[in-house]
Amino acid sequence: MAQVVAGSRRATLIQREFVRFKVSQRLEHLLTMICFGVLLLTGLPQKFNDASVSVWVVNSLGGIDNVRLVHRVFATMFIFSAFYHVGAIGLSVVRGKFNPSMAPTLRDFADALVMLRYSVGLSNSKPRFGRYDYRQKFEYWGIVYGGIIMIVSGLTLWFPTYVTRILPGEVVPAAKEMHSGEALLALMVIVTWHMYSVVLSPSHFPGDWSIFTGKISHEKLREEHPLEYIALVGGNLEELEEPPDRVQTPTAATASPPGGGPERAGESARDEPSRG
Amino acid sequence: MRSASWPRWLLVWLAMGSLVLAVLLVLVRGGLASAGQTSEAPVSAQAPAAMSDDECLRCHSDPDASLSLPSGETISLYSDPAVFRRSVHGDKLNCADCHVRNQTVPHPSLNVVTARDFHRAEYELCKRCHFENYTRTLDSMHFDVVAAGNPFAPVCTDCHTAHSVTRLTESRVQIAKTCSQCHSTIYNDYVQSVHGSALQSEGNPDVPVCTTCHGVHNIQSATTATFRLASVDMCAQCHANKELMDKYGISSNVLKTYLNDFHGKTVGFYQKQSSQVWAETPVCFDCHGVHNITRVDDPNSPVIKENLLPTCRQCHADAGANFPSAWLSHYEPSLQKAPIVFFVKEYYRFLIPLMIMGLIMHISLDLWRLARNR
Repeated sequence: MAQVVAGSRRATLIQREFVRFKVSQRLEHLLTMICFGVLLLTGLPQKFNDASVSVWVVNSLGGIDNVRLVHRVFATMFIFSAFYHVGAIGLSVVRGKFNPSMAPTLRDFADALVMLRYSVGLSNSKPRFGRYDYRQKFEYWGIVYGGIIMIVSGLTLWFPTYVTRILPGEVVPAAKEMHSGEALLALMVIVTWHMYSVVLSPSHFPGDWSIFTGKISHEKLREEHPLEYIALVGGNLEELEEPPDRVQTPTAATASPPGGGPERAGESARDEPSRG
Repeated sequence: MRSASWPRWLLVWLAMGSLVLAVLLVLVRGGLASAGQTSEAPVSAQAPAAMSDDECLRCHSDPDASLSLPSGETISLYSDPAVFRRSVHGDKLNCADCHVRNQTVPHPSLNVVTARDFHRAEYELCKRCHFENYTRTLDSMHFDVVAAGNPFAPVCTDCHTAHSVTRLTESRVQIAKTCSQCHSTIYNDYVQSVHGSALQSEGNPDVPVCTTCHGVHNIQSATTATFRLASVDMCAQCHANKELMDKYGISSNVLKTYLNDFHGKTVGFYQKQSSQVWAETPVCFDCHGVHNITRVDDPNSPVIKENLLPTCRQCHADAGANFPSAWLSHYEPSLQKAPIVFFVKEYYRFLIPLMIMGLIMHISLDLWRLARNR
């Protein structure tokens, strides 16, 4: 039951939870996560081949040939998921349902500056984010860029004789450096940045699970994505600034309002697939 | 539990009794053993005194002395005492020291059919002194060949000779020649190779001879997965030795660059695998050649630029003209040798720390603000 809250100029629909990610987006994240993990597990020992732990991993997985086979199987899955991602965006564009919420804007750079001023104490107001903040966009585009690098360089290493039909031979060792460098970069970014921003950060600890559950709580949406919150619920930024006791918290669950009420729960998860 | 109720004195007596019994047993056994030794001594004392060389040479200095075998073969019984005295054993041994069974005249009859039977029986004499090397040969692939039914695989005397034994280590040329008695095709390849020709022409002390790579008495088959995988380190014994390679102006980086590339990493993992794997991945000699190995700038070298494509195509059948340059020829990427690779490497060398430092700074700022907010 959604509640209509009186006390502001217009009726506001407030729900306890909002749907943030569609099932397909959650599955995409899960698949990316699994591929990423397996590719690192089977790839890093090849990069750091002298480390005894690498030898242990390779031998535990049944030898280097097995490791390479598994690496290529999951690489293929990753490539397909990348194609699915692009295809799904294309489809939503065709259907006219595309919401470019991941597109980097000038506002993101401004937000980053505001955040910097806020962090160092020059300002007391945090930037207000939409559906994705600049950090999430940075990570998303990092994965897009890194994914392209990994796929292109990986295919070069997989099929060197085809690639060198057109390109000079030197691209093969260059692809090897690129593949291993980008992999290490991706690992470091995930370990530091992603783990901090969704798991270890005091704002989310012990974890922001919305990419798995698909749900985001009312409070969280309001706090972290105020612009999206307003777009969904209505109201304006000043109202959000009101002290918590004056904002009525809902009592009921996620159900849609009867009749003419907007189907808010579905609205948040637009048709743009995301990994952010 | 029951023993606890036994009188204590009985336990003490039992323990002391068994101790005494054990000591007695040890003493008695030792006594028996020494008794056995002393009882043997008179037997050897009764054996005939060793024959002197003069007695042997009464017959064996005749160049025509020979023996006909049941197979129809004739073996010479002649031994030149001068040759023997010049040998490594010349100042140490007399005939009878080795030929112990022939100390009676007439000699006990031989139970052999062919000349090879005779030689294979006589070489066993060496083990009386050279037991260690003799047992090593039992682990060699030459012995495997014998076990498989070929009696002509070499025994001690085939390589060392029976009476004119010299120290083979004194002449590396002699080692290669010795092997060439059977392995003549390989020897012909070898003497034309960069290694063999240096040995032949200048007696080069650094180049490998047969035994450097194949070992000496326990020579193993060179066609096993184990040999193949170990061969990389075998070549590296010299080719990763900077001091030695600098002498000839050759890079000592070849092992490192090989092991850091795709082929070498694979072989490196195979080496550390518990199960035996036949590496399809190339090792040194797949590209450089084996016994016929040449200088890398020799026009006939399989790895000189002009010849590299066919070499790659041994495995990469569909390789095109650009493909060989995918291999950096044991060079570390540099501005001169592989600028693209060099730049990619440098790019990540700077980007990764920079990126991580930036992100950690962002995290730290975030944490700092959150801490102040509390």
